[in-house]
Amino acid sequence: MYVSYRWLSRHVDLTGIAPEQLAEDLTLSTAEVEGLEPFAAHLSDVTVGLVTERKQHEGADKLSVCTVDVGAGEPLQIVCGAPNVDSGQKVAVATVGTVLPGDFKIKKSKIRGVESRGMICSVRELDLGDEHDGIWVLPEGCEVGSPVREALGLDDWVIEIDNKSLTHRPDLWGHRGLAGEIAAIYERELKPFDCSLPNVGGGTSYPLRVDSPDCPRYIGLTIEGAQPLASPDWLRFLLLAVGQRPIDQLVDVSNFVMLDLGQPNHTFDLERLSPEGITVRNARAGEKMTTLDGGEHELIPADLLICSADEPVALAGVMGGEGSKVAEGTQSLLLEVANFAPAVVRRTAMRLGLRTDASARFEKSLDPNLAMSAAGHFARTLVGLQPDVRFPAPPSDVGDWHDPAHTITLSCDRVRSVLGTDLADGEIAKILTRLRFDVEGEGGALRVGIPAARATKDIGIEQDLIEEVGRIHRYANLPERLLRADVKPPPHVPRRVIVRKIQDRLAGAARFHEVLSYSFVDDELLAKVGQAEAPHVQLVNPVIESQSRIRRDVLPSLLARLENNRRHREDVRLFEIGKGYRPENGNERGEPDQVHSLALAWAAPRPGKKARFDENAFSRLYGVVDDLFGYLGVARPCWGADLDAPAWAHPARRLGAFWGTDEAPGAVLAELEPGLARALGLEGELASDVAVCEISIDRLLALEPRGSGYVPIPRYPGVKVDVALLVGADAQAAQLVDAIEKAGKGAVSGVELFDLYRGENLGAGKKSLAYHVLLQSPNKTLSDKDVAKFLGRLERAVTDLGGELRKG
Amino acid sequence: MQDDYQKTLEEAQTKIGACADATGLKAIEREYTGKDGVVQALLASIPSLPPEERRGVGQGANQLKQAVLEALAGRESELAQVSLAAERKGEGYDPTLPPAAVQRGSLHPVTMVMREVEDLFQSMGYSVLDGPEVELDYYNFEALNFPPDHPAREEYDTFWCDREGKLLLRTHTSPVQIRTLERLKPPIRAIVPGRVFRHEELDASHEHTFHQVEGLVVDEGVTVGHLTGTLKSFLRELFQRDLDVRLRPGYFPFVEPGFEFDIRCPFCEDGCRVCSKTTWVEFCGCGMVHPNVLRAGDVDPEKYTGFAFGFGLDRLVMLRYGIDDIRHFMGGDLRFLEQF
Repeated sequence: MYVSYRWLSRHVDLTGIAPEQLAEDLTLSTAEVEGLEPFAAHLSDVTVGLVTERKQHEGADKLSVCTVDVGAGEPLQIVCGAPNVDSGQKVAVATVGTVLPGDFKIKKSKIRGVESRGMICSVRELDLGDEHDGIWVLPEGCEVGSPVREALGLDDWVIEIDNKSLTHRPDLWGHRGLAGEIAAIYERELKPFDCSLPNVGGGTSYPLRVDSPDCPRYIGLTIEGAQPLASPDWLRFLLLAVGQRPIDQLVDVSNFVMLDLGQPNHTFDLERLSPEGITVRNARAGEKMTTLDGGEHELIPADLLICSADEPVALAGVMGGEGSKVAEGTQSLLLEVANFAPAVVRRTAMRLGLRTDASARFEKSLDPNLAMSAAGHFARTLVGLQPDVRFPAPPSDVGDWHDPAHTITLSCDRVRSVLGTDLADGEIAKILTRLRFDVEGEGGALRVGIPAARATKDIGIEQDLIEEVGRIHRYANLPERLLRADVKPPPHVPRRVIVRKIQDRLAGAARFHEVLSYSFVDDELLAKVGQAEAPHVQLVNPVIESQSRIRRDVLPSLLARLENNRRHREDVRLFEIGKGYRPENGNERGEPDQVHSLALAWAAPRPGKKARFDENAFSRLYGVVDDLFGYLGVARPCWGADLDAPAWAHPARRLGAFWGTDEAPGAVLAELEPGLARALGLEGELASDVAVCEISIDRLLALEPRGSGYVPIPRYPGVKVDVALLVGADAQAAQLVDAIEKAGKGAVSGVELFDLYRGENLGAGKKSLAYHVLLQSPNKTLSDKDVAKFLGRLERAVTDLGGELRKG
Repeated sequence: MQDDYQKTLEEAQTKIGACADATGLKAIEREYTGKDGVVQALLASIPSLPPEERRGVGQGANQLKQAVLEALAGRESELAQVSLAAERKGEGYDPTLPPAAVQRGSLHPVTMVMREVEDLFQSMGYSVLDGPEVELDYYNFEALNFPPDHPAREEYDTFWCDREGKLLLRTHTSPVQIRTLERLKPPIRAIVPGRVFRHEELDASHEHTFHQVEGLVVDEGVTVGHLTGTLKSFLRELFQRDLDVRLRPGYFPFVEPGFEFDIRCPFCEDGCRVCSKTTWVEFCGCGMVHPNVLRAGDVDPEKYTGFAFGFGLDRLVMLRYGIDDIRHFMGGDLRFLEQF
């Protein structure tokens, strides 16, 4: 909201308070000042000139050649096209080099062969209004050669206040209210302000009726003989300073009253209103209306209408209807000043996208008393401009409203204990009195009367008054303290601990990079990963229409990162820890089930022909995950290929990690489904070997810790035996390791696969797996005989599996 | 006789002096002191010598051996010096070649600063708590003293998850205030870091998905002074210096009084881009917990008071690393991520 410094000074003496100081103090005690700019700064560069001579341009009928005295130096010759320019006028001159609004720089020029050194400006050219019929003729008293801004007393400042910080202060949406704050801050008096109605005639008031609980008060005042004349400069400049374009006195006074008191108001053309009067009622479902801005709206019963008889003429608190425009030549007006239910105005304005100055004020909960003051202020201001205006009848004033003023008991001890200060009772009372609260009582308990203007919303409880004391006393004056408390460690949060360990392990030796992705997933991506049909929490108002669904798992977002990164890097290792939401498992309160997941993806170029058996993404990621489980100290899972795997997993190259009697895997590790890899753009030059894994952090957290895993350093040396097992191509390594361990009868302390070979010389459908086996006993040094026994048992076991032991 | 020894010794010394490597020296050592060597031959000749010469020859042979060994040791140490000197010259190597790369992964910069913040508060006795991102309107607004149709709701450009207005993406971490009060009893000291959402168009300084840290303290006798003192000590540790701060009125329905907490711009003295030329940077919104919020958490506002604050983490991360575009955070581009 824009506020004018000069406007404020109509209500409170600002002598000695520089605009910068005022802005700072308002920020520290009341509301955030976002900007402070001199009003019409460009007028400092525009000079008051005196037209000493006007001659007809010889080459053009409509042009005049003027000699203009601008104080300093030689008089200037200026060619002017305005019909009203004449010698003896004081005018606004933009000399060569001046930059006018719109970045229009004045240059020396020749117009139809005559040199012109500057421009005599119209009101519009100076951005002070719409008049452009001729040049702006300045008052006689302006001093030639002085800047127009000074000569006209336009040395105003525009203060911009952050609307957000006024959300709870309906009283500060006008200059009078803000002046009250300033008076309290600087301990000054508010200037007297007469808002009483001027004399009104004894005629019949215009009939009004309220048929809705959403309109607590509606006042109508008939006005006769008002003319749509141009407003005087004082009013024009105040409105311009706060960004309102002056139109004519009727519109300008309406805006002036709203910006002065914070009370919106509206004038209707009485000649266009039904003699039956105005009815305020809720809209009927499907009822239509066109607003002043030309918008057509379909209404619902929650909208409130002002109707002439039954015909809608305004959307209450939001905007007038097209039919309510004041026709040219109209002499009779009806001034509406009302109070509407804040929530109703807000909902209508939001639903129809019509946020107006009026709706912004009504939705903050205006004081219903203010309506009559505004009617008085309007009438007095208009009479001040047009003394012939008459008010033939007393205002109609209908509605069921009550005065919101109330009283709060404030404990001074509580003020001190919340603010942490030792302010005396008297000082507290004094601050509240400065804010024009009505303070009574002694002994630490104050009876504080809350004036209506503060009572609608803002001040309802003791704490609200504590804020009043604190901000005027200034928060900076409250002593700083540190908390004192019994020292004890904060509770252990296992999820946080495990998340940190995962991050550290993966970003460390495993060389993975942590990614954060949006919680929204693209429909196309979901279709690719086969989750399009899965239930998702879905946004009603997404930023992008195709990204309305909230992820169930983290992995899909990670998959979407592969293609772009593979474009720039051969080896892409990513992980993300995040939350997923499953609406199908929601609770009775409507909250979806929340899962915590870790997703990993490793994409690299496909392994070459000579690559070792474990030089592929799946093997390597398996290693990373296995190491991670070891590091986290959770029980080792049982990895199995028998699972109901997600669609992103390669149908044959995948494993699930099962703990205990789990039916569903707590982690799924897989090569990326080849069709999906292509769909993700991983083809051609980007064709990749991709392994992915999704791990339930919730499952990990529910596991028993594994224990330290410490074993004593062996006392007897071990024997390293290399064995090669020739088996069928379908045999699974897990079975073979099992056989080796069984054959060792507890003496196998290490098994390491070091070669996997499939060659023609082995015979079709065969493969050979070669292992280093470390045999070790805690009780003795193993003999050749022990090794021979082990090999014998292994040979039998392998033969049982249809294979053959080849001793190494 | 003496002359012969002398001559033999001189011969040996010449050979030793000319020898330039350890193998050569070993050969010379064998030639003179080995079992088929010169000294041994002399000693072997003793029994065949007249008794009066035996002593002299024996002594001479031993002296010769000592002298040869000394010369060998001397030369050896000389050669060691030469080789050290050569190594020290380091010829043929360019130390300005690039270092051999150590490959590593990376933590997200948001994670790194988040950890700093968590650790600082934890060191002051705060618990680090968590809450859901898909949240009920009740926790995000209603229990925080934003009744339906409250105009302040509008500041929170909300993503809605249903048409009834019951489920949403949390617009701040504040709903965890209520969840915490429902679960724990005072004294409470907790922070809640987490992801929050606002319906905004993306640009270099606006994201619809970002991170906040909420703080909540509820106890007997908690005052505004404690809020200022706590945030100031936190900032002192985070920035490793004292920063001027100011508390000014700010409106948030769930605190009363409510404040904006500004810090003096850490980057300039007279106005810069970061502080929009004001020398102040808005750090967080905060205030004393509203009695209605305490009541929603079944805490007696007559007995307890508390403060709460909530600050954005992403801007701190941007300041810390000089990142100029917030969109990098959620962009998942390795060229950005691997820099941290």
